[in-house]
Amino acid sequence: MLTIKNLHASVEGTPILKGINLEIKPGEVHAVMGPNGSGKSTLAQVLVGHEAFEVTEGEILFDGQNLLELEVEERALAGLFLAFQYPVEIPGVSNLQFLRTALNTLRKHHGQDELDAPSFMKLAKEKAKQVDLSPDFLKRGVNEGFSGGEKKRNEIMQMLMMEPRLGILDETDSGLDIDALKTIANGVNTLRADNRSFLVVTHYQRLLNHIVPDVVHVLANGQIIKTGDKQLAMELEEHGYGWLGINEAEAAG
Amino acid sequence: MTLAHKTPLTPLDDAFTPEGGKQLPAPLKSLRDIRSKAITGMALPNRRTENWKYSSRYLKLDPELAPQTQATGDADYRSVEGVYRLVIRNGVVDLDSSNLPSASGVDIRRFVDLDDVAAQSVAKKLDTTLDHGTTQLAALNTARLEDGVLIRLSADTSVDKPVYIQYVTDAGASGSNYPRVMVEAGQGSKMTLVEEYISNGDQPVLVDSVSELLLDDSANITYIRLCMDPANVRHIGATGVKVGANAKLDSHCIGFGGDLRRHDLQVRLEGQGGYARLNGIALTQDRQHYDNHTAIDHVVPNCDSDENYRCLAADRSHAIFNGRIHIHPDAQQSHADMNNKNLLLSTNAEIDTKPELEIYADDVTCAHGATVGQLDEGSLFYLTSRGIDRDTAATMLSMAFVHELVGQVPLEDIREAVNTRLTDFIEASFRRAAE
Repeated sequence: MLTIKNLHASVEGTPILKGINLEIKPGEVHAVMGPNGSGKSTLAQVLVGHEAFEVTEGEILFDGQNLLELEVEERALAGLFLAFQYPVEIPGVSNLQFLRTALNTLRKHHGQDELDAPSFMKLAKEKAKQVDLSPDFLKRGVNEGFSGGEKKRNEIMQMLMMEPRLGILDETDSGLDIDALKTIANGVNTLRADNRSFLVVTHYQRLLNHIVPDVVHVLANGQIIKTGDKQLAMELEEHGYGWLGINEAEAAG
Repeated sequence: MTLAHKTPLTPLDDAFTPEGGKQLPAPLKSLRDIRSKAITGMALPNRRTENWKYSSRYLKLDPELAPQTQATGDADYRSVEGVYRLVIRNGVVDLDSSNLPSASGVDIRRFVDLDDVAAQSVAKKLDTTLDHGTTQLAALNTARLEDGVLIRLSADTSVDKPVYIQYVTDAGASGSNYPRVMVEAGQGSKMTLVEEYISNGDQPVLVDSVSELLLDDSANITYIRLCMDPANVRHIGATGVKVGANAKLDSHCIGFGGDLRRHDLQVRLEGQGGYARLNGIALTQDRQHYDNHTAIDHVVPNCDSDENYRCLAADRSHAIFNGRIHIHPDAQQSHADMNNKNLLLSTNAEIDTKPELEIYADDVTCAHGATVGQLDEGSLFYLTSRGIDRDTAATMLSMAFVHELVGQVPLEDIREAVNTRLTDFIEASFRRAAE
């Protein structure tokens, strides 16, 4: 589904990713772990096309398409979805308007009829309930005044609505208590399917107790230095990143 | 140092001050003659004129614009339900097309129909709400007076539906017109007044409109001004308001740009406990212009004012906001809050904003803020990362910028009409920018 070959990316001339190779097959969940500053979030942002990052070398194929040639919105329509680490607040645009526009754009892209207001509301309420988000939030501005946890739930709620081919979670677990973590993991797990994959970027192993990965990669200094199964995440939890010879302070730069 | 460096003065062409006003009652005709004499040959504001600094280059009063508007085509009325409608067509009061309240306590009359006593009373009050030093072209309106509308509310009268004045410039119109409205809101009276300027013409036309509102004690007036003219109409408008004790003005001015767009809103808080809210939205695109000049005078103690204006400028357009707050020496315990936020939708657009505070009392709170910014890239990225195309995302964010002010427009029908018009206007800007 996703093939990353020798990916190099930099921000304002500073190289961050230095030759990433990664292959995600349909139905797989891959976790990318690593210390702060290792390039985990950059990888997530580059995949969805954030302008701040310049790809200097390598390629990304998504279902055979050259992802780097697609605009941000085209990548979303092709089936990529990023659950942001820091979702922005957009006062004046209601969640309802935002979600309906996004979902109907996607439906149109797939040749489906747009959802009318009542059907949309029904669906949105159902998905909101799945992540324990009050339906009242639909009337509020996008993420406006949301707590950290509510923002993360909103990200997963959007993912449940959009049903992407590849869901990318960028440190979705950060700042969450254990109940919220479980709710979010359940949300993600309901989406797991043979034709849908996930890339879970996280600093800690605890999320991976609930979203069990097929493959775990360790990223350090812009490169994948080790790949294993879920056992690798447990070893990292036990021994820390130092066990792999990574100096965390140094890596964080 | 030399004469060559001075901006040459352009006098108002004599064609703009013809004889006229023959149908007016004597006191009003006399006022017209005085103004006409005073402004004949007056120097037009130029870039050295402080209050026209950014706008004088759009002020082209060619003699062809001087004659009273004549039209060859039909009007295009937007139908409005649930209101009392008053039509002023090409500057002429059109009672046949109007639907006026019949209830006692509301008196709506043309100036030409006033007897000498009533006309004398109006003549004494006309022009008293505006500072002609800063609204030079409002004097031209009085100098071109042919008719006008007087709306009088007796004490404690509540008008059950909004009074909706539609200023229509017909297709094929040319020249200029000078609509004039005077509202006297008696003690404790209540009314919503809407002024909408529309046209389906495409030739250059000048509209020089003046409306004055006198709010007696405890009167409550909601004022909505919609400057919806197409770009060919050059519009210079002034609204002057006097607010009495415990009276309330709730003003919402929404305007779209054109070759020349100027609105002066001057509010005097003259009775204790008076309150004024001034909301405004201006949008410009293409090479359009819009200039909002507001002035709030806190004349007496214990009055509050809240002002919130927002401008969006796209393409190569130019928007201007100048907000003056004047706290007079006696006006202790005044609370004035002014906020102006601006959004540049293109790197070629220009926005000039200037808050002007003059505070002569020491026990007051007076806050002001002005910002000019661009669409937030982080928000654009967030929306597009959900599959929404960039133009739609930019339109959503632009609408979000004025969302709060649109939401405060008190009438739902108008709120929706404004929302649609704003969205269409912004979408068109982004569409053109993409081409």
